[in-house]
Amino acid sequence: MAGATDTALVSEDTSETEAVAAGAVGLAAVLFALSLASVFELVTITDPVAGVPMVALLGGLLVVLGFAVVTFGVGSRLGYVATDPRPTAGLLASGTFGLIWFVVGGLVASQTLGLGTAGWVVASLVTGGAAFAVSALPREDIGSTLPAGALAVFAGVVFLTGVIGPSWLWDLGWEQQASFNAEFTIPVLTAFCSLLVGWAAAKAYGGFGARGRHIGAYVLVYLNAISIIALLFLLVAFTVLKGLPGLFKGLAFGAGAGPEVTLVGVTFSLPVSWPFVMNGVALLNDVNGVLPAIVGTIWLVVGAVLFAVPLGIGAAVFITEYADRGRFTQVVEIATNGLWSTPSIVFGLFGLAFLVPRLGNQKSLLAGMLTLGFMLLPLVVITSRESMLAVPDEYRDASAALGVTKWQTVRSIVLPAALPGIVTGIILGVGRIAGETAPILLTMSGSVAPPGSQTVDVLGGFQLQYAPPFVTNPELMQATSALPYQLYSLITAGVGQSSNISAIDEFRWATALILLVVVLGFYAIGIATRYYFRSKLQHD
Amino acid sequence: MSETRQTTDDAQATADSELAGGASPGTDQPLEVTSGETRERTREEWVEHEFEGEAKLSVSDLDVYYGDDHALKSVSMEIPENSVTALIGPSGCGKSTFLRCLNRMNDRIKAASIDGSVRLEGEELYQDGVNLVELRKRVGMVFQSPNPFPKSIADNISYGPRKHGDLDTGLLANLLGRSDDDAVDELVERSLQQAALWDEVNDRLDDNALGLSGGQQQRLCIARALATDPEVLLMDEPASALDPIATSKIEDLVHDLAEEYTVVIVTHNMQQAARISDQTAVFLTGGELVEYGDTDQVFEDPQSQRVEDYISGKFG
Repeated sequence: MAGATDTALVSEDTSETEAVAAGAVGLAAVLFALSLASVFELVTITDPVAGVPMVALLGGLLVVLGFAVVTFGVGSRLGYVATDPRPTAGLLASGTFGLIWFVVGGLVASQTLGLGTAGWVVASLVTGGAAFAVSALPREDIGSTLPAGALAVFAGVVFLTGVIGPSWLWDLGWEQQASFNAEFTIPVLTAFCSLLVGWAAAKAYGGFGARGRHIGAYVLVYLNAISIIALLFLLVAFTVLKGLPGLFKGLAFGAGAGPEVTLVGVTFSLPVSWPFVMNGVALLNDVNGVLPAIVGTIWLVVGAVLFAVPLGIGAAVFITEYADRGRFTQVVEIATNGLWSTPSIVFGLFGLAFLVPRLGNQKSLLAGMLTLGFMLLPLVVITSRESMLAVPDEYRDASAALGVTKWQTVRSIVLPAALPGIVTGIILGVGRIAGETAPILLTMSGSVAPPGSQTVDVLGGFQLQYAPPFVTNPELMQATSALPYQLYSLITAGVGQSSNISAIDEFRWATALILLVVVLGFYAIGIATRYYFRSKLQHD
Repeated sequence: MSETRQTTDDAQATADSELAGGASPGTDQPLEVTSGETRERTREEWVEHEFEGEAKLSVSDLDVYYGDDHALKSVSMEIPENSVTALIGPSGCGKSTFLRCLNRMNDRIKAASIDGSVRLEGEELYQDGVNLVELRKRVGMVFQSPNPFPKSIADNISYGPRKHGDLDTGLLANLLGRSDDDAVDELVERSLQQAALWDEVNDRLDDNALGLSGGQQQRLCIARALATDPEVLLMDEPASALDPIATSKIEDLVHDLAEEYTVVIVTHNMQQAARISDQTAVFLTGGELVEYGDTDQVFEDPQSQRVEDYISGKFG
């Protein structure tokens, strides 16, 4: 009966049993989403959903799902449902179920029944061993549904009977007074059980066997990916929601509403006033802002990129195209990889000890730029080298056969073909350095909440003179602020409390949001650049 | 290919070839066959090809080693001007290696060491002070798989001359009013016409060359090589990756090119060699040049038994 040869080549129309299994998979997905929602407290576990408290809903669904899955497995074993199971669920599934039930048995014995060490070890071994046996010994349809379904039913009953109810608390009894509360435990357990049951239901839907395993894995991977994306989205949404009120405080439109700016000798008022991004922090401001920090961050990144990208690409060209592949390039490769994983505070300390004394002996924007540039350098070297190695040798041969020199080949063929990859590396690097706090703290931090008048004006700061060094820029030699540093000090040091900022919490979240926006802005620029270079290489 | 295939007839033929190959007659040694080839000693007169006029390329005693591997064994041949010379032979017999020696592309392979002499119009290529850039301008090359640059069709064609500084279309040249845009357009058209590609692509010269079909890409590569105005064109199995229609276009093209250029073409396809070449050189296993002469003579009346076996499809 078992065996792939028995599988029908063309499966008939969706049968009722298949529909039930598919419904179970869908229900498991819904349950997973519900439990995630209550992990993040979008819905608390005592909130009524459709007339029943959330905890009862979660428990009830678990029981229903568990029974459905077990019923399907048993029905398949008894021959009521046409499936194509293997002789066993496999060692991996059995081992996993054994381990899960080992933990469950131990927890119940020690925490609920209050048995001693010997007691819970025995209980664990018994439940774990039983789960392993049930999973490994019978045919796959029983082996993969019974342990999963039983776990779901068990968890559901525990929630429904209030053994783990809304007011449940598990004090771990450690010195740190760590404890698990129901608000967190119930949704996490539900999510875990729903994944297991969903997997078992998906296998049942596929009729077990190779196809069932494929669908089971697919459901697991899919739910996993969805939850990661949801997590990312949640993180961004959380920051945005918290940051929005502070960000748009005092926003006003209309002719002459904004501050005066001078562009190419023409002075005019901006038609929009956006205090949070146009002001600094000052006693007389209605709404305080973070303009100096925004400008500082942007100049930091621009400076670091201008410093690191040419150097990094140059180094990569040398070790890829000119140097013989051997010990030297290996050492360079290991060194650059090591540099990239060096903690940023070490770079900061280097900047403080080496750059700051040589650049006017004070913390300055230039020192910060160079320190971040040093941090960016290894990634630019690594990614440039990788993408140049990925350029086919046929291009180099073709160019050489046309009588074109190596440098011209590198410049006109290799670099353009490698540029999308190089830009990707720069994007990644900028994302990292734009949010770095430690190096900035050590090399360029000025006042925590600078007034708007202290905004750096790098372009306007250049001064010509008739004696060496001919060009100076005092703005570069000044300490200034940057968004991550400002955020760090506003939160941990509590400096903001003593200055002129009212509604400090709002201010912090708005600063965080602006930092996010600035970093994403750099990303957008990078991605647009990469798109441009890539479209030049490809035919449509 | 299989040794078990040897019948009495084959054995007789082999014995005959032993005689022809100069093995001492009358010896009744057992016949030995290695990888389907008959044993015989190559004679010098088999590789002597008489032609009128000066030799464009003359190679003498060329040995190539890849590490310990002796890839070419003392090859000597003279290649006449404005003709098509086909190099044929089984895989790994050194014909591509030989081709790559003619414009010193083997220099790019670190493990290769080259010993011997190659002269282009009497000038020794393997000596100090040879300008590789100039050499490769005069001796162009087309590779086995089409390898256009990921640039526009026009840029692919004008790439060589622009990089040589013959044509300048840079920003500065534009600003100073000495841009060679017209010359570039003319070059692109002429090269594409020569490569019989102009009619197919003249309305999309600014499109990316990677959007062309395989056969078009290969003709673009030929056009690109022609754009630098070489004297010799080396082609390394230019049609091996192409379908019959594209192949026949390339063959016609090679035939036409021989009026102006000296073409040396490596091919696996013996019919192709017979169709398009004026003289044929047969390399056989071990990096040996076994026979070289007029194509008709080589294909209809080969002097070497091994070459006859190869041409008639007994091995290779």
